[in-house]
Amino acid sequence: MRLQIIILFRGTYRIFSLKVDELREEEEGKIWAIGGGKGGTGKTFLTSSMGIYLAKNGKRVLLIDVDIGGANLHSFLGINRPRKSLTNFFEMGIPLSRLAVNTSVDNLSLITGDVHSLASDSIKFTQKLKLFRHIMKLRRQYILIDLGGGSHNNTLDTFLMADKKIAVLEPEIIAIENMYHFVKNALYRKIKMSLKAYGFKEVVEHMWEQRERYKIKSLKELIDSLKESFSHLGDILDKELSDFKIYLVLNKIRSSQDILIGSSMKSIFNKYLGINAQFAGYIEYDDAVWRSIRERRPLMLNYSLSRVAKEIGVFTENLLHEREMKVSRS
Amino acid sequence: MADKTLKRYFDVLEISPDASVLEIRNAYLLLKKLYSTDSVVISPIADEFSKKERREILLQVEEAFDKLMENLKNKQNERHHRIRHQPSASVPAGEEDEDVSYSGLELKKIREKLGVPLFEVSLDTKIRMELLKSIEHEKFDVLPPEVYLRGHLINYANYLMLNPKKVAGDYMARYESWKGGKKGGS
Repeated sequence: MRLQIIILFRGTYRIFSLKVDELREEEEGKIWAIGGGKGGTGKTFLTSSMGIYLAKNGKRVLLIDVDIGGANLHSFLGINRPRKSLTNFFEMGIPLSRLAVNTSVDNLSLITGDVHSLASDSIKFTQKLKLFRHIMKLRRQYILIDLGGGSHNNTLDTFLMADKKIAVLEPEIIAIENMYHFVKNALYRKIKMSLKAYGFKEVVEHMWEQRERYKIKSLKELIDSLKESFSHLGDILDKELSDFKIYLVLNKIRSSQDILIGSSMKSIFNKYLGINAQFAGYIEYDDAVWRSIRERRPLMLNYSLSRVAKEIGVFTENLLHEREMKVSRS
Repeated sequence: MADKTLKRYFDVLEISPDASVLEIRNAYLLLKKLYSTDSVVISPIADEFSKKERREILLQVEEAFDKLMENLKNKQNERHHRIRHQPSASVPAGEEDEDVSYSGLELKKIREKLGVPLFEVSLDTKIRMELLKSIEHEKFDVLPPEVYLRGHLINYANYLMLNPKKVAGDYMARYESWKGGKKGGS
C-alpha cells in the first residue's frame, strides 16, 4: 500500500503518509483506563510501562494522570512534575493538547493531574463530561488514563467512559475485595445511567436504597429482581452486562499458583455477575521494579530485557489483540 | 452433538472450541476447585454468592466436561474405526480402552499426559501421595490390603476419566500374579 503511494505521489509523499497515520488514529478502542480499586497495586507503574511499550512500537501515545490520591505518573517516566495540569483545563479552559508535555520517549506525552483535578466536589458533572469529550477528540492512537485507587464516582465514570477498562489487582485478599467493590460500583453506575434513558434511574436507586425491604442482598439480586419486575428491561440489562467488558491484569505474583487467581476472578465475574471479563496477563514480583522507580529510570527503558518488561509486552499485546492469557498448569 | 450445544459447553468451561483435551481438563479442574472451595477469591463475596448458586455452577461445569469428554471419545472411536475399516458403533463409548492393559506405569503416563502433578491428584482424591506413588511404581509390597487398594484404584481411575472397573481389574491381576509369584518363590 505504502509503496504505491510513494510512486503515485512522489512529491507529496511525506504529507500523504501523515494523512494515512491520522486516518489510523481514528481507530476504535483507543482510550484505555487503568483502575481497580486498591491503591498500591501498581496501576501507575503499569500505565507508564504500557505507554512506553506502545510508543516504542511506533504508536502515538498520550498518558493522562487523574489519580486523585497522588498524581505521580511523571516520576515513573523519570521527569519532573509538569507545571501545567488538568486544573488549567478546568479553571482556565486551556485545551488539553496544550497541556501535554513530551517525555524522554518519542511519541509519548503526558498530561498530569493534581490533587484537585478530579477530587470529589471540585469539579461539576458538566465539567467532567467536557473533559471526556475533549479526551475523545484528541488525536492520538492511544490514550492511557491512570485512575489511581478508590471507587469515587468520578473515577468510576472515567473508567466507564474508556474503550478498554483495565483493572489491576494483586494476589491478596484486600486487593481482591477492593476489586469486587470497584467493579460492582462501576456496574451499578452503568446500569443506573443506561436505565435513565428509559426513566428507570429513580426506580433503580429506590430499590437499591430500600434493598432490605425488597430482600435484595447484592447487585446481582438487584439486577435479577429488576428483570423479574420489569420484564421489558431484561434484554436491555443483559446487553448492558455483556457490554461491560473488563480486562484483568494481575501484578506482583510470586508463584504459579498466584496466576490462577487471575483466571478465577475472570470466571467469577463472568459466571456470578454475568459481565464480560478477560484475563489479559500477569507480572511477576521483581525488585527491579522497585529499583527502577526509586532511581527514576523507567524499567521499560533501562531493564528492557527483564522478565517483567517481557510480561508487560505480552499483556499489552493481549490487550491490543483482544487475546486472553493462556494459563498452563505447572 | 450439535455444534451449538458443544459451543455452550466450551463457554461454560470458558475455553475456545479449539481447546485441546489438556486445556479442557485444566479448565474443568480449575473451575471445579474454584466453585467448591472457599478460596481467597470467593470469601470476599461469600455472603452474597450463595452455596446454592455455586453448586448450580458446579453442576453445569460437570455436565459440560462430561459432554465434551464424551464427544471427544466418540470422535476418537470414529477415527479408530475408520482406520481399521470396521463398522462404527460396534464399540460402545467408554469401552474403547479394551486393548490397553492398565499397569502402574500406564496410569502414570496418562496422568503425565494430562499434566496433573501427583500432589494435585492426592488433594483431589484424598489418596496419600506416597500411596499414589507406590501404585504407579507398582511397589506391591507396600500397598494396602486388596479391598482398600481396589477402592483407591477406582477412585484414581475415576479421577483420570478411565473405566474404573477395567483399571481395577487390570491392576489387581498384576497384583495377584506378583503375589502368586512371591508365594511360589518362597
